[in-house]
Amino acid sequence: METSTVTTVAAEAVAVAPKGRRPRRARRYTPQSRFAPAWLLTPAGIIVIALILVPIGFLIYTSFTNYDQRSLFTGEVSGVGFHQYTSTLGSSQFWSSTLLTLWFTAALVGGSLVVGVGVSELMMLLGKRMRYVVTLVLIFAWAMPTVAATQVWNWLFEPGFGVVNWLLTQLHIFGNLTNEAWNNNKWLALFNIWLLVVWQAVPFIAFTTYAARSQVDTAMIEAARIDGASELRIYVSIILNSLRPTILLVALLSVIWDFNLFNQVWLISQGGPNNSTATLGIWTYLSAFTSFQIGTGAAISVLTTIMLLVLSGFYIRRLLRAGEDL
Amino acid sequence: MSIASAAAVKSAEQTGAAVRPWLRRGRRRPRFGRNLTAIVFIVIWIFPVYWMVDTAFKPQSEQDTTTPQFIPTHATLQNFTAAFHQSGFLQNLRNSLLVVLVAVAFAMIISLFASAALARWRFRGRSTMMVVVLVVQMLPPTALLIPQFLIFNKVGLTGTYTGLILAYVALVLPLSIWILRGFFVMIPVEVEEAAIMDGASTWRLLRSILFPLVAPGVVATSIFAFVSAWNDYIYAYTFMKSSSHYTLPIWLVSFSSPFGGTNYGGQMAASVLFTIPVVVFFVIIQRNRVTGLSAGAVKG
Repeated sequence: METSTVTTVAAEAVAVAPKGRRPRRARRYTPQSRFAPAWLLTPAGIIVIALILVPIGFLIYTSFTNYDQRSLFTGEVSGVGFHQYTSTLGSSQFWSSTLLTLWFTAALVGGSLVVGVGVSELMMLLGKRMRYVVTLVLIFAWAMPTVAATQVWNWLFEPGFGVVNWLLTQLHIFGNLTNEAWNNNKWLALFNIWLLVVWQAVPFIAFTTYAARSQVDTAMIEAARIDGASELRIYVSIILNSLRPTILLVALLSVIWDFNLFNQVWLISQGGPNNSTATLGIWTYLSAFTSFQIGTGAAISVLTTIMLLVLSGFYIRRLLRAGEDL
Repeated sequence: MSIASAAAVKSAEQTGAAVRPWLRRGRRRPRFGRNLTAIVFIVIWIFPVYWMVDTAFKPQSEQDTTTPQFIPTHATLQNFTAAFHQSGFLQNLRNSLLVVLVAVAFAMIISLFASAALARWRFRGRSTMMVVVLVVQMLPPTALLIPQFLIFNKVGLTGTYTGLILAYVALVLPLSIWILRGFFVMIPVEVEEAAIMDGASTWRLLRSILFPLVAPGVVATSIFAFVSAWNDYIYAYTFMKSSSHYTLPIWLVSFSSPFGGTNYGGQMAASVLFTIPVVVFFVIIQRNRVTGLSAGAVKG
């Protein structure tokens, strides 16, 4: 769910940003329009406060209590101070989940960026018809709902009749893998999830980069070619350089998106085997809704949020600075 | 290669040809390598989609084969009818449509007002609101899921459609405000000034000028909102207690044959049905968004 949220916002940001178009806003033309923003914003304000800001406050409050399964029925909770935080920070699962989340995010962002930018460059080189087919294929991979995609993935990698195992067996390199259960092995399960997420992420990155790539001044490339620059040099110094703002934005959004990855992991490995693929999101959910230590889950969630805000702090700072011009 | 191109430039200059030689060289160069790369990419990327559709049309006997059957020899619709007749499908489809459509309609009305204010007026706290709208979308899924569950549990909204609708409104509202605002910003300020010169009241301005102009934007935004809520799994999975209240994604995941083990034919057929509306919407967006944006500018 977060996937599409973040990506579409990014698409919007990318579509609007380069034009730098800031038409003058209407100001107070009539006396009654002065109060217009207030009543226009009231319904949205109520919803945002009641369903987003108050819950976040409640999450922070819960992280300082011993909220558990019993509290769900009785409503009884007692404050435990920083206990949930100290016990979370003292648990080895928290640290292994943090480490996993960080490097897995890096692997996902790196993989989807390399393939996505590569495909955008490929689209530039292709003829019209071939490019159309690639676009169509990308739209299909993009539109496929995550839940459907995970079910397809489970079927592709199914031990016994899964087509991927059959294909790998035919290669005669790894031996007979027909009954290989990918989700029983930490690394294979992670690789499986990695493939799915990269498959889903490439269309957005490719489309966004392609839009920026087609804006790159060809005169500059031609000039460099006359001056005898190698194709590699042209690509790195001119093309990648002009694409830098776009790639940076896409990378930041991918970091947010992949750091918050949930459904794909949950529906493929459920964090197993033995919590070895439990990213922070999965571990939070398991703590809060499987072992019903809701206070602990809330504390992990708060810590995860802080981590994410630190990771994307650069982006938020820029947003705050640009806030006046938004 | 660079020497060759330099030589080509020289010869072109000598013959006085106006054609850019490096372009001609590019045309002459075989496209074989890039086309081959493109075909490899296309095959890998479309394969999961193909395999889903392929499996959906294969009878059970052609699904579970030691050598996969890449083209169904006895294409059948039995997987689709099996999915339809599986208990809960129609009920959960109805739930999904009800919850998602109500949430999207509700979010659209609210965000239409809010984004008009954020795009067309300047007032104190506006930029703070914009940043809040953006930052709440970055939160980890559990940061809202856990407290919403606790609060809804307290007031008796867990397990109800109302609770899920409210959760989806909160899920799609920031996104909708942000996207719709972009459409409002595109409307030239002169249109607005003209209306005010003619004596239009604020409400009149909104109702007769601004809202009609962003209509294409509302279509595009509601599609984005629909897809986000339609794809949700974890809210429905956490909030809904009885299977009669489940939404389609949960039904899809729990789909299995009555004989135990997953009936992948039926599940893939159901996945196809679940995917189709989203693909249709993506195609609509691709067109509507572009025309919507430019039409808004031209009309001004």
